[in-house]
Amino acid sequence: MRHALRTIALALALAATPACASVRAGQTELVNPVSAARTLDQRAYALLHSYAAIIEEATDIVRDDVVPMAFKRALGQAERVATPAVETLEIAVAAYASARADFEAATGESQPTLERAAIGLTIAARRLGDAITAAQTPITELEELIRARRG
Amino acid sequence: MLNLMLQVQMLLAALSAFLPLVPAEQRARAAGFLDVAAKALAAGGSVATNLDDLAVKLAAIRADVEAMAAAGRMVSAEQLDAAMARVRTASAAFRDALETAEASQS
Repeated sequence: MRHALRTIALALALAATPACASVRAGQTELVNPVSAARTLDQRAYALLHSYAAIIEEATDIVRDDVVPMAFKRALGQAERVATPAVETLEIAVAAYASARADFEAATGESQPTLERAAIGLTIAARRLGDAITAAQTPITELEELIRARRG
Repeated sequence: MLNLMLQVQMLLAALSAFLPLVPAEQRARAAGFLDVAAKALAAGGSVATNLDDLAVKLAAIRADVEAMAAAGRMVSAEQLDAAMARVRTASAAFRDALETAEASQS
């Protein structure tokens, strides 16, 4: 049982390792909401909202007649890669929330039930950590594409 | 950055002046290239505004997450649903806008 809890703690600590707090694009400072998160679910929440914010700005760029079509297509290509990764993240975060609820409900139960719930939570936490990592790369690429235009 | 853009714009203007010296068969291609470069530079201004908007939005999200982390609060199912709904809405609007842009090109 102690081993399972240690694994959970390790998985959570690994997944919640803070990344760079901010980046500078010209005179604009872009903060990283994900690095402020302390738990896996907070990281996923920060990543989902950050991605939505990036896509909202990319939409305004695509609507601008002055922006060259080649750049709009590059944004489109980046979005087509990033959105499926974010959808996978949604599935992983739902599974994690469910496993966490099971674990909390099993606290007063017998040792085997608690261990099963702990293993389920460990697996869900690892999958969510993987989904966050997988989603971060294409999202960062999309954000960098927007930033690169400013230099 | 603004200085750099001005310098590149001046360079483009100077290059345009040499266009008549380019062999006739390559002139259209060179002019096309200069046109795309000029448009990209002009786009820099509008993208800069979007970047500032993005900075404000990301700062608001970070403040929200910082408050959650400080309070040791878990994210609720409703909050996750709302975040995902925002992603879906943004993604659909983006694809519509790109489709419209493509249609206006053809």
